[in-house]
Amino acid sequence: MATMVDSSAPVTTPAGTGPPRWTRRRREALAGYAFVLPDLLGLLVFVGLPMVLAIGVSLFSVDGFGGYTFVGLDNFAQMAGDTQLWQSVRVTLTYMVTFVPIGFVVSLGLALLVRDHFPGVGLVRTMFFLPHVISLVVVGVVWQFLLTDKQGAVPALLRPFGLGDVSFLGNPALALGSLVVISIWFLMGYQMLILLGGLKDIPKEYEEAARVDGATAWQRFRYVIWPLLRPTSFFVLVNSTVGAVTGLQAFDLVYVLTKGGPAGSTSSVVFYIYQQAFTFNNYGYAAALTTAVVAFLVVATGVMFGATKGGRFDVG
Amino acid sequence: MSVRLRALAGYVLAAVTVAPLVWLLVVVLKPANELFDVALPSRLTLDNLLYVLTEVPIGRYMLNSAIVSVAVTVIALVLHSMAAYALARLRFPGRQVIFSMIVSTLLVSLPVILVPLFLVARQLGLLDTYAGLILPAIFHAFGIFLLRQYYLTIPRELEEAADLDGCGYFRRWWQVVVPLSRPVLASLSVLFFLANWNAFLWPLTATRDPELRMVQVGIATLQGQYGSAWNYVLAATLIAAVPTLIAFVLGQRRLVEAIKTSGLK
Amino acid sequence: MSAFERVTRRSLLRGGAVMLGSAMATPLLSACGGGGAGGNAKELTFWNFYGPNPQADAQSKWFTDLVAAWNAGNEVKVKLHYLPVSEYLAGTALQTAFSAGEGPDIFLLSPGDFLRYHNGGVLTDLTPHLKPDQIADFADGVLDTRKVGEKVYGLPMEREPLAVYYSLDAFEQAKLSEGDIPKTWDQLLDVAAKLTTKDRFGMLFETIPGYYQNFTWYPFMWMAGGSAVPDNGGPGFNAPGVHGALKLWQDAITSKVAPRKPQGDGAGNAPANLGSGYVAMQQSGIWSVSELAQQKKDFKYGVFPLPVPDGGTYTTDIGGWAFVANAKGANPEAAAKFIAWALGATDAEGVERGRQWNTVVKTNLPARKSVEAAATSAGAFDTPALKVFLERVVPGGRAEPRYTPEVYKAVSDAIQATQLGGVDPAQAAAEAASKIDTFLKGYKGAAML
Repeated sequence: MATMVDSSAPVTTPAGTGPPRWTRRRREALAGYAFVLPDLLGLLVFVGLPMVLAIGVSLFSVDGFGGYTFVGLDNFAQMAGDTQLWQSVRVTLTYMVTFVPIGFVVSLGLALLVRDHFPGVGLVRTMFFLPHVISLVVVGVVWQFLLTDKQGAVPALLRPFGLGDVSFLGNPALALGSLVVISIWFLMGYQMLILLGGLKDIPKEYEEAARVDGATAWQRFRYVIWPLLRPTSFFVLVNSTVGAVTGLQAFDLVYVLTKGGPAGSTSSVVFYIYQQAFTFNNYGYAAALTTAVVAFLVVATGVMFGATKGGRFDVG
Repeated sequence: MSVRLRALAGYVLAAVTVAPLVWLLVVVLKPANELFDVALPSRLTLDNLLYVLTEVPIGRYMLNSAIVSVAVTVIALVLHSMAAYALARLRFPGRQVIFSMIVSTLLVSLPVILVPLFLVARQLGLLDTYAGLILPAIFHAFGIFLLRQYYLTIPRELEEAADLDGCGYFRRWWQVVVPLSRPVLASLSVLFFLANWNAFLWPLTATRDPELRMVQVGIATLQGQYGSAWNYVLAATLIAAVPTLIAFVLGQRRLVEAIKTSGLK
Repeated sequence: MSAFERVTRRSLLRGGAVMLGSAMATPLLSACGGGGAGGNAKELTFWNFYGPNPQADAQSKWFTDLVAAWNAGNEVKVKLHYLPVSEYLAGTALQTAFSAGEGPDIFLLSPGDFLRYHNGGVLTDLTPHLKPDQIADFADGVLDTRKVGEKVYGLPMEREPLAVYYSLDAFEQAKLSEGDIPKTWDQLLDVAAKLTTKDRFGMLFETIPGYYQNFTWYPFMWMAGGSAVPDNGGPGFNAPGVHGALKLWQDAITSKVAPRKPQGDGAGNAPANLGSGYVAMQQSGIWSVSELAQQKKDFKYGVFPLPVPDGGTYTTDIGGWAFVANAKGANPEAAAKFIAWALGATDAEGVERGRQWNTVVKTNLPARKSVEAAATSAGAFDTPALKVFLERVVPGGRAEPRYTPEVYKAVSDAIQATQLGGVDPAQAAAEAASKIDTFLKGYKGAAML
């Protein structure tokens, strides 16, 4: 292989440039491009292109039989008066402001609980993580069964407390809350592991020193652990916020458990886009909504990068 | 908190966490008429599992999922490892820009770009093909990012030794870098396999041919088809979860390591 | 290696540019495309939700036999493509296929979805392949929702009216008898309350949004004197009749006598709901008779017509699926011929095929007079449940309406908001009415019936 490179070198070297060092650098650069190219191209076609295409299609009205009509910015204008869209924005925001903080507190609590050794701690950690191994579809089906009105295991267990007739997935006031709880159940073990990784990096001596100084458990957490855990916490929070907005967990659960109902109470923005495209064949409108969400994410990320001085949480 | 109190809290909470999954296992082994009784089965039966294995094409679904998951995992590991090596080690103009571009795609998830991705796949003739299930699932920045972080920690000297032997970049990568990154590749392979086995949204969107149905979509449709028979639906979900549990048990240590480190800077 | 890399880079760049360019042009290309209209392919695909299904049941066999009989005598072959009913009804497969210009040649269509496909220009006129006596054989009004002007675009396989099923055991446990069968809406809620227990609901209405839910709600709207679109200068959707029908469904939920979520794939599934003991009464269609017979053999039940509001006139909604041919398919001419033969043939074989479908492998009322006569003389309607359907449910019934997706959606939103969201019926109806009115102003498609 080396000889091959050598024989072709004269051809690729423009006249008048220095010999070996230049060639070597060029060789390295070419190898670099070649190595990156397949992934880059794939990302371009399957991530970048869709984002660009969304903008293009958003300018058309699509009739569901493959016919496109140019409508300019009509699809965007339509958003303002689309009450269901705003309802879905509310759903997404409600999901986000409940799921992210509660999920974080629960995960952190679990991480602190299983940080130090006790008999069987490994098994306990595994058990907390177990729901995350199962697919969201299976999770959805299992909870659908457990929450069956009147007959399911959860209503049966709650009946002695007078809650046997509560419809967890059928009541608009409760359905989204149920989804948040199930999402947390699914994700908490995963977040716990990341936080555990962060906790392990905090030197024991710091905490010991605080203990010697007479700090209470809460004070040790507040003034020793919490500040040192901040980068990890930040990572977890950013991750779960992005997940909440883009429907990473919620989409599959909504699809299996509620299909956006009852009365639109669990229809998140991404689910609404899905319905617009695949149930109502409004590809143009769906593309416009996609564009809006992507634009929102880009702006939000920009703000976040600014606020965190270049997103130190992310790039090493 | 004393160790005993912590241990007790840990046991109780862990038991509550896995209770729904344990209940799934119990219910599947119950006779059909006792499904909703919150009690242990009067007798254990394999009827539900056997029915699903014989009457529902779940084998076909699982085969499709296996083909796609394995293909995605293998191809993704190769491509990501190459790209990550270049981004970590090779100097070329635009490297930083390319890396930033790749990382920035982490913000965009499948549900968000689903509609235009579907249109792209349609235009490329990928709908209702294995390629259509596999290709879009390969390209994800997470693996590239994680591998690059790992490669930054590999001592340069090891590579340079290979360089002295006259190896080209391809052989350096293949003979030095890949063997050195076996642990992280193993972690990622568990992660990728699980993610693809559990994938629902893209397989749902990209296929309508029952012959290409992957297992999660299969289960979601069973829910409608066997609506009156929870025992069969639940048995199918249990069967579908078995490979993920096996992968988890086999790769648990690696998986945990990968997740823990993903939070580090 | 660098030579290799150079070539790769250049060609990939070029490839990338081509790909980007073509993707950007996608919408424009698609605008000119549109399937191979008017071809003469030798194979037609037929999408349906009956066969060949994995269970290979009697309905599946009817479809495979039908196609085998056709294929034996014709050059253009038909190939069945089965989709589970949940995917066909609530799923996106059919629409997605059409939006890609790859719709099936023949498919099943309900009146609720007729206008979407007709206005989209993908339905073939079947009239040239039907003799006048074949058209006349269809029962009165059955073809109306499949016709535009005098052209027939779909042949119905069946008529499927809605009624209420009730569990005899549940009635007995609640000490109710046949005399307590509700005849008015108030009585319905009252009886439902008596039938509600700690693990059973009294009455089931559909709660899952979709064409089916609208279909099952329309009769209540009609009985109370409402309509979705203004008929002959009528008031339209924001009217007392509509409010009343919305309120009935809302009351059933708020008084906790009806569930917020049905079991199985929805409230059209009697074995999963009534048969499992989840509910004591259930609104469903005639298809439930055969489903209960097959899946819950020993389950004892009765059927009664939909209760009527005070001062209202009885009606029900009669659905049913039709075979239609894709005008942009591979061979619309042959597809139309197949349909005319499959469901319109008046020879003995054709009538027998209809009788088998309607009263042997499935329970429906036949769409054709000749088939109904043959079925009646074969004693098909002697069972108590079917007798009720034939004698008391169908008279006064009305065909399932055909509205555009926009009207359907406005009505669906109103039903969902009131039934499950607790919104005031008058407010929900007013919102829907304004959406419908705005839409109707710009509507140019075929008449809504």
